[in-house]
Amino acid sequence: MKYLLFILIAFSTVSAWTQDATEIIRKTDEKARGVESSQGLMRMTIVRPSWSREIEIKSWSKGRDYSLMLITAPARDQGMAFLKRDKEIWNWQPSIDRAIKLPPSMMMQSWMGSDFTNDDLVRESSIVVDYTHELLGSEIIEGMDCYKIQLNPKPEAPVVWGKVITWIEKKELLQLKTEFYDEDEYLVNTMYGKNVRMLGGRLLPNRLEMVPAEEEGKMTVVEQLDLAFDDPISENFFSIQNMKRVR
Amino acid sequence: MIRATCAGIFLVLLPAVLLQAQDDKPKNWLLNGYAKQLQTVVAIDGFDEYLIDNLLHNRLNFKYYPDDHWTFTAELRNRIFYGDLVKLTPNYASQIEEANNDFMDLSWHWVAHDDWVINSTIDRIYVEYTSGKLETRIGRQRINWGISTVWNPNDLFNAFSFTDFDYEERPGSDAFRIRYYTGNTSSLEFAINAGSTWNSRVAAALFKWNTAQYDFQLLTGMANGEFVIGGGWAGNIKDSGFKGEWSYFLADDGGKNSFAITGAIDHLFGNSLYLNFGYLYNSNGTTSGSLSELFFFELSAKNLYPFRHALFILNSYPVTPLLNVSLAWIYSPVSSHPLFVNPTLTYSIAQNWDLDLVGQLAFSQDGDTYSSPVKALFLRFKMSF
Repeated sequence: MKYLLFILIAFSTVSAWTQDATEIIRKTDEKARGVESSQGLMRMTIVRPSWSREIEIKSWSKGRDYSLMLITAPARDQGMAFLKRDKEIWNWQPSIDRAIKLPPSMMMQSWMGSDFTNDDLVRESSIVVDYTHELLGSEIIEGMDCYKIQLNPKPEAPVVWGKVITWIEKKELLQLKTEFYDEDEYLVNTMYGKNVRMLGGRLLPNRLEMVPAEEEGKMTVVEQLDLAFDDPISENFFSIQNMKRVR
Repeated sequence: MIRATCAGIFLVLLPAVLLQAQDDKPKNWLLNGYAKQLQTVVAIDGFDEYLIDNLLHNRLNFKYYPDDHWTFTAELRNRIFYGDLVKLTPNYASQIEEANNDFMDLSWHWVAHDDWVINSTIDRIYVEYTSGKLETRIGRQRINWGISTVWNPNDLFNAFSFTDFDYEERPGSDAFRIRYYTGNTSSLEFAINAGSTWNSRVAAALFKWNTAQYDFQLLTGMANGEFVIGGGWAGNIKDSGFKGEWSYFLADDGGKNSFAITGAIDHLFGNSLYLNFGYLYNSNGTTSGSLSELFFFELSAKNLYPFRHALFILNSYPVTPLLNVSLAWIYSPVSSHPLFVNPTLTYSIAQNWDLDLVGQLAFSQDGDTYSSPVKALFLRFKMSF
């Protein structure tokens, strides 16, 4: 899913430095991944006018190259796992005792029926490398002083957005609001960072709401229930064997 | 004796484990499963009325892991069958067990009347010991060596019914398996199942490795009295998945050798349309005959489809996040032009409730008519817990 990066970043923070836009984004990106590693538990709720569905995910990651995700709810999908090593991704289905290698085109698939796709697990386009950054100024969001930064995709970048505007709180570098525009500069989604509290030893918004523009009653909510940064995880943790064993 | 012992282990362990959970220790067991109601409507040419059958089905999956080394797994399915086909089939109860690969008898008929049957089957019961990269597992287990999407000539340990979509887990094998992970994406394993003679036994080794972003595997061994070698791959061509498998069975004393090879390409388009295109060559398949036998056909790695050649196309599309429609076609370019058509509609009613509507049609040419003498429609409710 095209939003996961932004969600990861919103869950991160950096101590306050005065810096240019690229530097703010770069530091945020580094910290978002916990530099070395992170692990956590999150709940994603897909909200539509007449229904909602919840998915709970345990996750482990190391840098950009390795990640492991375990579905802990709903009951139907419990135990299913996803392993990413560099550019490759596998899906473990415990009911049939089978690890399935996913093709690259599958990465664009809606992940577990949500607004997430597998793409974020594999391609992980970089908001540092794939965009140029422009500091537009300062604005107050939710009573907090924020940098307003515009991200413009570089010509060759594998990015679906025409531009992205994000508001990052200056003192703790909290990503409080992000607008995603299509190539016609038309607003598609707005992501809000809410419920700021300590997570994994850092002050972070622990609730993110992704709200599609002009589609009343629809949103995807991601709540971080648990998070830890930089507990050492070996590269060997991200193995086919462990994908079948994590719990 | 064996089955009594296994049942005893299951019944004794379960309450003990549940009691232990009341301590403050982290949970070291897992219990989940589902309940399903499957309604089947079958129309058969020559019969004036539809056959309507019901299957009420409960599955329990239980895992107990006292420490990092030991895992105990037991999975039980309880089924109640009733309806027209049950009434019409003499000794329906005994038919239920035919698709199993059992050595141990872990199936019980609580009721075996002419018009209804209650059956319980333990289709997984095994102990696993893990020490670092070495895993040893003994008991009834699913040994799934398939790597491709539709057909699996490498899946030596399992036979199942082609049209039984309702049994996703598939039967287990009573077997011993030892596996060593030679790396993060490679492993070497050996497995042997219990059989009274070599003709009913499979003993084989499988090596899996990853190179150039492809998963590869090679296997060799003895399968039901024949020497077998096989291999498979899973990778991609540009953005599309490219997977395949082959197996060659060498018959002893002048019998007919068997060869099966399959390849498939799958792709998910930007608009979420999923397409899977595959082919199977089966040297044991016929080039004549009708497709009706598919409903009664029990496949094995050696004989995955009744015909020599088969082309497979699957289209699947999520109309909404809750509603998925798919259509699978299998066509064989032989004289009767057999065509298996399998539409499926899947709907998520609520967080843990699913509804499926599945059709199965098997067309073939018989004289001047091209028709499906057997038509089946299934309606399934599933509640997961």
